[in-house]
Amino acid sequence: MSGGVGIWRCNGCGVRLFPQRLLCPHCYGAAFAEDRVYEGVVEEIAVIRHMIGQADWKPRRIANVRTDGPMLTVGIEDASGPGAVVELFEDGTAPLGRAKR
Amino acid sequence: MKAAIIGVGQSAYTRRPEPGQTTHTFIRDAVVAALQDAQIGARDVDGMAVTSFSLAPDSAVDLAWKLGLSLRWQLQDTNGGSSAMNMLGHAARGIETGAADVILIVAGDATGLAGYGKIASNYNIVTQQHLAPLGHGGPNGVYSLVTSRQMKKFGLEKSDYGHMAIAQRQWAALNPHAVYRTPLTMEEYLAAPMVADPLCRYDCVPIIAGAQAIVLANPDRVPQGRAPVRVRAIRHSFNYDNQEGDGLKTGISTFADDLWREAGVGPKDIDVASIYDDYPAMVLAQLDDLGMIPGHDLKRYARETIGERRFPVNTFGGMMSAGQPGGPAGGLNGIAEAALQLQHRAGERQVADARLAVATGYGMTMYRYGGTAGAVVLERMA
Repeated sequence: MSGGVGIWRCNGCGVRLFPQRLLCPHCYGAAFAEDRVYEGVVEEIAVIRHMIGQADWKPRRIANVRTDGPMLTVGIEDASGPGAVVELFEDGTAPLGRAKR
Repeated sequence: MKAAIIGVGQSAYTRRPEPGQTTHTFIRDAVVAALQDAQIGARDVDGMAVTSFSLAPDSAVDLAWKLGLSLRWQLQDTNGGSSAMNMLGHAARGIETGAADVILIVAGDATGLAGYGKIASNYNIVTQQHLAPLGHGGPNGVYSLVTSRQMKKFGLEKSDYGHMAIAQRQWAALNPHAVYRTPLTMEEYLAAPMVADPLCRYDCVPIIAGAQAIVLANPDRVPQGRAPVRVRAIRHSFNYDNQEGDGLKTGISTFADDLWREAGVGPKDIDVASIYDDYPAMVLAQLDDLGMIPGHDLKRYARETIGERRFPVNTFGGMMSAGQPGGPAGGLNGIAEAALQLQHRAGERQVADARLAVATGYGMTMYRYGGTAGAVVLERMA
């Protein structure tokens, strides 16, 4: 696990993007630098109570999180609800969040 | 456009396929039904379009081979819930240009729930990498977030969506092909188990096995005594906003004015609508994008216009009650229903004197919402 979530910054116009693109949708530049966002505000929460095709599923929470870059869909590991500020981190390619300490 | 729908066909729809029932057999059954309905033979068909999650490793030409169809026009579409609309657009232009005379448009799936679960977790690379590891629940999770946004923005309550589900179930009771026909009450709707809050069981489209087919040709090929259904205008949108919006608008918002202008009619002229209904929130979003919701009052439209069936939306019960074959195959059932309504062949659910219909498709949940959409205005020809 690592601090923040990796995003991409367009070298041409500076827009911050997630997920990764081939061309910037704003300036059509092809070069990007790696960047990170470290926190965001939960806008909506969903509790996934059922997974298609899985009988022993345990509920999980996902959220739409507004950052100072792109909007992210993240897994929420605690009881943070709409309006909460969460610190962002990642496990592999999975963006996650929990209440900011 | 001179291309017209002259026949429609459907396989059985079932939640649990029997041994021996496969995507291919469902598609075959729909094709046979459509050819019979159009009163043409397989040898008359010289074009075919198909969409399916579960046809692989076969592709369109394998299907043509197994159906014994020798073609000079062929298409395989991968645009999810807007595949049917996309196929209709290409096929209409194919007829228009003389590339083919008679085109079968086919959509079918028999993924099974486990198979659909795998598809939902591997929908695209972004889903594989950034959503599935969260346990996002496939489209149910994505549209639970979209639904929450819509509720906040438009002041909607859960019961508003309930009115839509109940009304569609009332329509489904009149459709012998629908998988769910038992009347639904608001008490049952509100007490239903949550799948992905705020979506309950009745807000999530049931995945079924089945197939649909329609036949597109010059109007003079229509069986005697039946009105051909003309494609009056059709428009599409792909990746309309780079996933940088809130998902409460669809790609339909980019072309609605152009669609109506080309059709030469407006929302108030429409007699019946088939709106792609994977989730109730997206029905409202598409109707609003089409300009069919006065004052953008989604709440009133859900409770009164749809809920009290003041305007006929999804008269076959929609996919929410009739069932969604896989993913891309959904959407063709709405087009077929619009054709039946305009041909005045919809039985107990017939809308009196229906002359104009609008149908939509919406799909490809790329990350935070769908990225493809299409809409058609269909007309009963004299």
